Amino acid sequence: MSLLKEPPPGVTVDVDQAHTKLTEWVVHMEGASGTLYEGEKFQLQFKFSPKYPFDSPEVIFVGEHIPIHPHIYSNGHICLSILTEDWSPALSVQAICLSIISMLSSCKEKKRPPDNSYYVKTCSANPKKTKWWYHDDTV
Amino acid sequence: MFSDIKAGDTTPTHNHSSVRDWIVGDACTIHYTVMEQQHNAQESPTKPSEYDPDINQDELIKAQEKQIAEEIKANTAMIGSLDDLSTLEQEYSNDPVYSGKVKTLLPKYCNVRRTRPDGNCFLRGFIFAYLEYCIHHRDELARFKKYLEGSKEELFEMGFPKFTTEDFHDMFMEVVSDLEGSGSVDRVEAVCNDGGTSDYLVVYLRLLISSHLQKNAEFFSFFIEGGRTVEEFCKQEVEPMYRECDHLHIVALTAAVGVGVRVMYLDRGEGAAVASHDFPEDSTPVIHLLYRPGHYDILYNKA
Repeated sequence: MSLLKEPPPGVTVDVDQAHTKLTEWVVHMEGASGTLYEGEKFQLQFKFSPKYPFDSPEVIFVGEHIPIHPHIYSNGHICLSILTEDWSPALSVQAICLSIISMLSSCKEKKRPPDNSYYVKTCSANPKKTKWWYHDDTV
Repeated sequence: MFSDIKAGDTTPTHNHSSVRDWIVGDACTIHYTVMEQQHNAQESPTKPSEYDPDINQDELIKAQEKQIAEEIKANTAMIGSLDDLSTLEQEYSNDPVYSGKVKTLLPKYCNVRRTRPDGNCFLRGFIFAYLEYCIHHRDELARFKKYLEGSKEELFEMGFPKFTTEDFHDMFMEVVSDLEGSGSVDRVEAVCNDGGTSDYLVVYLRLLISSHLQKNAEFFSFFIEGGRTVEEFCKQEVEPMYRECDHLHIVALTAAVGVGVRVMYLDRGEGAAVASHDFPEDSTPVIHLLYRPGHYDILYNKA
């Protein structure tokens, strides 16, 4: 897999875990240097359905440390269009990781989405069941 | 997402687009629909009249979309059987405008093959009709194979992910090589109706369109609405599955692949004649498609 051979900087796949269950991956990710998240470590969980790649993987932040970002909810859900509506079967895990790193890198102020508490209380465990609206391309 | 609808049917299947239109341009940072459903409830007759905060509206909408998609899937083959054009006439027996126009098609065309209205209809119709043409024109199949072989590197150069792109490319090559051998129309029909294979072909065609648009971004940028760049347009309207093909997609695909397509436009426009357009302009069409608002089927002209 290209992600194992040439991962974006700061990204590694938890190979042991991926071997135990092929449809569930954990990717370790590190905030890029020179950004608000420099040195911070995060974990992304990927779940692949049988319809993958025609159906997007379910991607959320897991673990102790969820990045504080205007498009990332405290339960790990991420508001990013390529994860649902704008998913393309040609996108790779690598491309998703890059998008998420770039989303983190362009952040100017660490804060949760304004509707965080409401969303986290009412949403489904699966972010793909949320009907997201994407309208902010700046972060 | 599934706005492929039968001509003449003006009722939206669900209220997705209206909700969306309502929020476009809104600068708020709410990321999903749950709360707005509440405000919209009285404005749209298709929504439940009372808002129940205990029901997750998001999930209801998602479930409904899924159900519509499943119904379409269960009821229509990706590529239907070869039907007589008179079946189209019968379809519109109560509609003077459409039946009048269908009549003007009868002298030129004899058959129609319906495609599944799932947003991939143009691409699926295109590739079926083209491969079917290639079965009878082996030199064209050879030319197409050569083009396909070279297209992979071009996509890499445009920055498409190697690992995934290769997958879709290889599947396409496999299909073409298979047809080169003992290829028959039945075989093309089977391939295009096999979910696993057919969707791979559709994805690859989407990548070819995206690549062509981005390569000629300066020219195509004039035709893109909504203040988006060509790249953004490709990411949102071309590369994802089930996004309908519009004029731009067709211009790009026919130019990239070098295959002439004639589209006959069956709509409520004035006059009895059916407007037609050839892509690329001034080309000799080898494929004929019938357009009805939001949908493409395959037409067969009389030999």
